[in-house]
Amino acid sequence: MRISTVTMYEQSVGSMNRQQADFMHLSQQLASGRRVVNPSDDPQAASRAVAVGQSQAVNQQFSDARVSARNALSQEESVLNSVSDAVASAKALVIQAANGTLSDADRQSVASELRGIYETVLGQANATDGNGHYLFGGYQDSSAPFVSSGGSVGYEGADQVRKQRVDASRDMPVGDTGRDIFLSVPSGSGFVANQGGPSSTSVDGGNTGSVTFKGPDVIDSSVASASGRYQVVFSESGGDTTYSVLEEDAGGNWVSAGIDGEPYDAAGTTVEVGGLRMELEGQPDDGDSVTLGPADEMNTDLFKTFEKVLSVLESPAETDAEQATLSNTLNVAMREFDASLDNVLTKRASVGARLNELDVIDSVSGNRELNYAQTMSDLVDLDYNQAISEYSLRQVGMQAAQQAFVGMRDLSLFKYL
Amino acid sequence: MSMFSIGLSGLNAAQNALGTTSNNISNVFTPGYNREITVLGQSGATSGVQVNDIQRQFNQYVADQLNAAKSATSALDAYQTQINQIDSLLADQDAGLAPLMQGFFSSMEDLAGAPSDPAARQGVLGAADTLSAQFRAFDGYLQDMQQGINGQIRDEVGQINNTTEQLAGLNREIALARARSGEAPNALLNQRDQLVSELSERLDVELTVQDGKSYQISLPGGQPLVSGTQSYKLEAVASPNDPQRIVVGYHDPGGGTQALDEDAIQGGSLGGLMAFRAETLDRTQNQIGQLAVSFAVAFNEQHAQGTNLDGEQGGDLFEIGSPRVFSDAANAGGAEITATFDNANIAALEANDFTVRVTDATATPPTFEVTRNGSGTPLDASEVSYDAATGELGFGGVTLSIDDPAKLADGDSFEVQPVRRAASEFANAIDDPDKIAAGLSDASGDNENALAMQKLQDQLLVGGSATFSQSYASMVSDVGNRTNIVQVNLAAQQGLSEQLSAVQQSESGVNLDEEAANLIRYQQYYQANAKVIDTATSVVDTILGLRP
Repeated sequence: MRISTVTMYEQSVGSMNRQQADFMHLSQQLASGRRVVNPSDDPQAASRAVAVGQSQAVNQQFSDARVSARNALSQEESVLNSVSDAVASAKALVIQAANGTLSDADRQSVASELRGIYETVLGQANATDGNGHYLFGGYQDSSAPFVSSGGSVGYEGADQVRKQRVDASRDMPVGDTGRDIFLSVPSGSGFVANQGGPSSTSVDGGNTGSVTFKGPDVIDSSVASASGRYQVVFSESGGDTTYSVLEEDAGGNWVSAGIDGEPYDAAGTTVEVGGLRMELEGQPDDGDSVTLGPADEMNTDLFKTFEKVLSVLESPAETDAEQATLSNTLNVAMREFDASLDNVLTKRASVGARLNELDVIDSVSGNRELNYAQTMSDLVDLDYNQAISEYSLRQVGMQAAQQAFVGMRDLSLFKYL
Repeated sequence: MSMFSIGLSGLNAAQNALGTTSNNISNVFTPGYNREITVLGQSGATSGVQVNDIQRQFNQYVADQLNAAKSATSALDAYQTQINQIDSLLADQDAGLAPLMQGFFSSMEDLAGAPSDPAARQGVLGAADTLSAQFRAFDGYLQDMQQGINGQIRDEVGQINNTTEQLAGLNREIALARARSGEAPNALLNQRDQLVSELSERLDVELTVQDGKSYQISLPGGQPLVSGTQSYKLEAVASPNDPQRIVVGYHDPGGGTQALDEDAIQGGSLGGLMAFRAETLDRTQNQIGQLAVSFAVAFNEQHAQGTNLDGEQGGDLFEIGSPRVFSDAANAGGAEITATFDNANIAALEANDFTVRVTDATATPPTFEVTRNGSGTPLDASEVSYDAATGELGFGGVTLSIDDPAKLADGDSFEVQPVRRAASEFANAIDDPDKIAAGLSDASGDNENALAMQKLQDQLLVGGSATFSQSYASMVSDVGNRTNIVQVNLAAQQGLSEQLSAVQQSESGVNLDEEAANLIRYQQYYQANAKVIDTATSVVDTILGLRP
């Protein structure tokens, strides 16, 4: 075939152009370290890289969320530690105060120590994080959740607690509300009795007699586990004291528990109801009562327990009735402190479990991150060995094309004319 | 017949041949030049040689093939130049939309971690600003390309008109020359064929040779561009269904200008540009718009579920553009249509343009036919709803309000571009950090709404079938694939063009070695003929020198 001179030059230049374009593309890949520089280099890989990038970003979001969740839970854990220490020492003080040989003055000094602990616990309940947000206020974290007024503490926080998305399908609560920690006891925390009726709010419960109680103790746990609240009501007529037991039905009404007008012996009477036994002693007045029930249906407010104990310790115990109130209140407080401590420890365990869970998620997520990074690298990163060998090959190709051009220039018949 | 005249005819032929060779050598690099050869013949009546023809080596069949190949190559070349820009735009790993969307969701996570923290709130606003600015920049870049293509179409049309005018002129000159000498000058023929080749690089044309002489050139649809000595003009005009879009119009001999369908122009740089615009640019811009609208609507809806720190219901987090509607220039009725997004049915939003045609304006309610542009597939009746009470037509995630249904006329059509420019008005609507509704309540620690907004990243909110990230990924793969296909096709087409060019050149191109050989050959030929005359002289001298 005839070859025109123009064709010879054009093909030669075209070949150099192509070699150069390939060469430039390789240089670009080598410089960026990426096989896929533009989406058109490998559209499937480029689009999958977007998906993997998204997974990486989401993984990072969860990982950031875990950092702040861990931070919040660790703070809570340390606060709960000091609260549980405080409640334990409060109980020790109550045991000390229950020693019948203490004078009023001795009780005063126990009281002032106990008040210190009370203030400590209140302070911890209103603890804040580094940014001034209250740990135990739930959603209402900008104002103190526990407010003291008129000698008693009320909860003004929210009942919902902030959650954070710490993993793909895990919204973890990153705290607990003050109500759950300081105003609750877990079910199954034993049974508590209380001087006075179920709705009485004063320390003596309105009792004017001197009846004291021991217990309640569980004698039949299968029956007791289903028990609600009971009320022992005393009545006196003509010098004979009798007692009846009422129970709270499902509708909240107090009805007879099947013990009506039983004779009461002030030297010692045992009441058995709902799988529970309680020892009563001392002389009640007509209308006095004692309420008993599961700890979580009685007073669950840790601060109220403190306030009751402080109230009896700080006032003199002279009359029989006052003595009885002192003894009963301390008796109840020990059980209530136990139940509250139980509650704080349970919550601390739950916080610990969440911290553990975060560690587990961290390690799983670390593996995931490695996988993503590997996938991403497989998709878009350059295989340097291959690229460098191709680079040298292209170099040879380009030199050859240039040499061919130079050689062609010399091949002209005109040179010989 | 004397040796003198024979030698003279040889000298004459040699001179002609040397002239042809010189002409070939001097035009070796002239575009459109076709090699010439001197065709010698024996002188019929007398002895000696005569020059029968200076023959142009031109093969119409090969030239047509080459023109078609060049047309396809330059179409792909124009397409590639444009699509490479989008391809590079999507290549940015750090400033692309994907990392910025991720950044925005990450700021939502920070907000969920510290819902009342001013820094976290400011972070959300900052991320929203950055993200929306990048959406706008992306759309702006694509819109610049739209404007650029409008300008290039004007340029191309100007060049085409120029070329067709020259072709008509050459047709005339060639006819005149033929009439004068019976032969057409090769130079004019070369020029005319070169112009046809240049025209083919701008758009596909049909060439028919009338009476073996005059070139008639027409569009593939049959409209003549050059007929004899007359040329007809194209004109860059605004599209009748979108005034911001320049299309090619045809000046018909009657004097009117009629806009041609976009797919009437095929091949060449003009066809390549228009194909790129219709297949890739519109689509990419629609995809970005669809993503922006889906993003904004989803966030605004979720944000409104929450309460901000001032105790108010969450307002709009993002602003977004509106769907665009254009009444066709040929509409008989005067009804005007405006459009809004149908937030409740936003999952039906498509990255498509639509044409709404009134099929029966007098019926109650009036009936419409809605078709997707591009594919031309009509929407199912169940996908279109018309509320006669409000005059609202709903489909594909948009609601069209007709100002006065009584003014509709049969056959009126409206072009609806739901998302084309939506991203251009995508913006953060909040500047006060307190206005972010992080919680369902206004409690400072409530982060439920922030969590809900963070979760939007996993939901299929774009067209009801893709997450935001998936939608972006499919755009990347779409553009990447198209670019890739165009690159591969262009390489193949270039190879074909080069091959055809080599074939054409093998016949019509000049080879300098060959011409060098011819130079020597014809030089010797000349010398030999001169020798004949010399010999004739000495023969005559011999005779004259004889002494009787």
